[in-house]
Amino acid sequence: MAFFEQHIHDAPKTFLSKYVFSFDHKVIGKQFLWYGIAFLGLGGMMALMIRWTLAFPGEPFPIVGQFLFPQTNGVVPPDTYAMLFTLHGTIMIFYAITPILIGAFGNFCIPLLIGARDMVFPTLNMLSFWLAFVSAILLLASLFTPLGGAAGGWVSYPTLSTLIGSPGIGQTLWCLALFVLGVSSTMGAVNYIATIITLRAPGMGYFDMPLTIWGLWLTAILNALFLPVLGAGLLLLTFDRVFGTTFFLAGAAATSGSGDPLLFQHVFWIFGHPEVYILILPAWGVVSDLLSFFARKPAFGAKATALAMTTITILSTVVYGHHMYTTQMSPLLTQSFMMLTMTISIPSAVFFANWLGTLWKGSIRFHSPMLFALGVVFVFGLGGLTGLYLATVTTDLYLHDTYFVVGHFHYTMAASVLLGGFAATYFWFPKMFGRMMNEPLAKIHFWITMLGLNGVFMGMMVVGYAGMHRRIYNPFVYEFLQKLIPINMFITYSALLMGFGQLFFVYNFIYSLVKGPKASANPWEVGTLEWQIPSPAPHYNFDVIPVVKCGPHELGNPNLKNGRDFQYQTEELVEV
Amino acid sequence: MNLYSLYMKLFVFNAHASEMTLLERIKPPLDISTNGHLIDSLFNLTTMLITGFFILVCIGLFGFSYLYRKSRHPVALYVHGTARKHIAIVAAIAALVFMIIDMQITGISNHDYMQVFAKWPKEDADVVRVEVLGQQWAWNFRYPGKDGIFNTEDDIVTLNDLRLPVGKKIVFQVTAKDVIHSFYLPNTRLKLDAMPGRVSKMWVELTKPGVYDVACAQMCGTFHYRMQGKMTVYSQEDFDKWQNEMQNRTTFAMEKENADLYWGWKWLASK
Repeated sequence: MAFFEQHIHDAPKTFLSKYVFSFDHKVIGKQFLWYGIAFLGLGGMMALMIRWTLAFPGEPFPIVGQFLFPQTNGVVPPDTYAMLFTLHGTIMIFYAITPILIGAFGNFCIPLLIGARDMVFPTLNMLSFWLAFVSAILLLASLFTPLGGAAGGWVSYPTLSTLIGSPGIGQTLWCLALFVLGVSSTMGAVNYIATIITLRAPGMGYFDMPLTIWGLWLTAILNALFLPVLGAGLLLLTFDRVFGTTFFLAGAAATSGSGDPLLFQHVFWIFGHPEVYILILPAWGVVSDLLSFFARKPAFGAKATALAMTTITILSTVVYGHHMYTTQMSPLLTQSFMMLTMTISIPSAVFFANWLGTLWKGSIRFHSPMLFALGVVFVFGLGGLTGLYLATVTTDLYLHDTYFVVGHFHYTMAASVLLGGFAATYFWFPKMFGRMMNEPLAKIHFWITMLGLNGVFMGMMVVGYAGMHRRIYNPFVYEFLQKLIPINMFITYSALLMGFGQLFFVYNFIYSLVKGPKASANPWEVGTLEWQIPSPAPHYNFDVIPVVKCGPHELGNPNLKNGRDFQYQTEELVEV
Repeated sequence: MNLYSLYMKLFVFNAHASEMTLLERIKPPLDISTNGHLIDSLFNLTTMLITGFFILVCIGLFGFSYLYRKSRHPVALYVHGTARKHIAIVAAIAALVFMIIDMQITGISNHDYMQVFAKWPKEDADVVRVEVLGQQWAWNFRYPGKDGIFNTEDDIVTLNDLRLPVGKKIVFQVTAKDVIHSFYLPNTRLKLDAMPGRVSKMWVELTKPGVYDVACAQMCGTFHYRMQGKMTVYSQEDFDKWQNEMQNRTTFAMEKENADLYWGWKWLASK
């Protein structure tokens, strides 16, 4: 399928060309991984500060509080609280999950799993990372501006995010940072799409691609289509802030002509709903593959899974209105969006059934990547199903903008994606760094994370149902929320537990990087292309471009004679 | 001793550890409207349906993990799930989920929305009309006064102080002065965004007198959490009494020049 010769150039020799401005997709992938993990830590710290404030209002944040907020003796002040939850959302979505799952594993996996020597546009790939780096600097710089960083919520609805609500330069920098990041992600997305279309190894049809690649491919398509929409919205918002236009201004503030704040919500959610699937699709792909690999049997209905993911990708573009029920659209639109949203259940049910079908009569090994993959099935089940309350308009009228929503989208976007990211990290670590991670530590990490995150997100849904709304600094000024103090404390304890669990990951990651046992070429005994080359993957991956002869999930074939229970994708399919 | 009371004893400071069971704690606020129960019952139905489905998923997930672990089931079955039988099972599961869960709750929600929540009282109906203006960080309420017309001398204007009668339909028209707010009445299970440049509407009928919270549900700035009003629900007589009392007090304030007080609009006729 390769449309052109993939040349091999000499390996770069200087430090700069090898580790900093590298064209190699593997190095860029690792750069994104470090970038994402660093921001994951930062976003996680912010989450702990938010949780602390909600459980113990008026108490100083332990240890670092005194240094961060000296004016208030370590108590998080309300304006900082608003900045914290804004940046927690922004960082986790755009600077942690996107770089890890799409930047790191997209870059690392796509050429390796489709049998290519690199991305089709290596320079674009490098630019994509360094633009993301510029964007990170813009975002972090906003923290040090006079009025602090953006504080209008991660959705930054105008008119709050215009000069009326946020006069500081922090919000402008936030807009620019996301705009630049959008450009970076679009570059990456275009590259992924082109690479998957043109550089698949000879013989590899679309349904011979691992489902991980399917997930990443669909994600890239959504990214390329919808990030520009966000970019347009942010640009208009920046114009409103800097040049005095009135695209999103109305009411008393619109002194020279009037725009419409609602316009931004449309633009934002046209992008924002696909964004949910941008984040989750790679995780679905990884999970679909890992379940098959560790159950030692072919992925059940792999084609149906791929098609179901494609269907969801398409449907995700026409359901965004369910984020805006309370803005009172015309009832006809409300009905349409409710109905369209509900149809997403059908493909979701298909791949849930396929996941369970994969486990059925398998021979399951509970290695750490598998545990995390099973964890995704569990938490995504909860996250997906609780979405039903928010898709039906009447229950949404009550639950909209409460902690129920927060719990729901954390289950889907944070819990599932995080666990999926960990599964991918544990699974591909040997191929990335040539060493194995410590298995017992990984399992401890898994169980503590599972316990913690379910405590946090289930707790959030419970307080949300009890009426606690989002983004409030001190919920207990409301009488009807005072009884929720103990439950909020429980959520915070769970969050602390979850944060503590991540220390096992960090230690394991760093220790294994330096001292982990050397990994063999194929430690998990699976047949996709990347496991046929040495670990870590060598310069330009494949000496000879492989020729693909069978699908990625050929495990457990009883007629295999060579002592293995799987066959490589380069081997002729053994007939039953 | 159960886990909940153990937790309360060990981790929650005494000040908050009043005698209250877990179920009492996580109950939504008291429903004081005629239609709030529709939302509650749909919530409960959805909970039942998805719990059922999630239990099935868990049976599959944990059951298969137990039955087909390596030590118990060393050789996996070589099957691709592409047989007609397998496709039919998967399709049946998807169809059943859609019919039993989705279509049922969509149908109910659609009916409730179209027939109740979005079915506005007739123009000439005897309703209480209130204009609501959100601003950073307070709620302004405006009643038309004796003449029944807004923005006239006899309007009653209050700040964070919403007073309503039971047993009569109340129609709100809601907008905002500066940024987007969301008019949230937890006890009626309803909320509605208040947007600058746009008037949206909501109706409700109350059943239980008392004092309740009015909140802002949309992030509206640093003191979003302080944007709290009180809703006092009266019997019809008490409400009339209050209105008469207010009527005698308010006339002096209605200067046309004072935009802070003269913010109302002509009641928008519903189509």
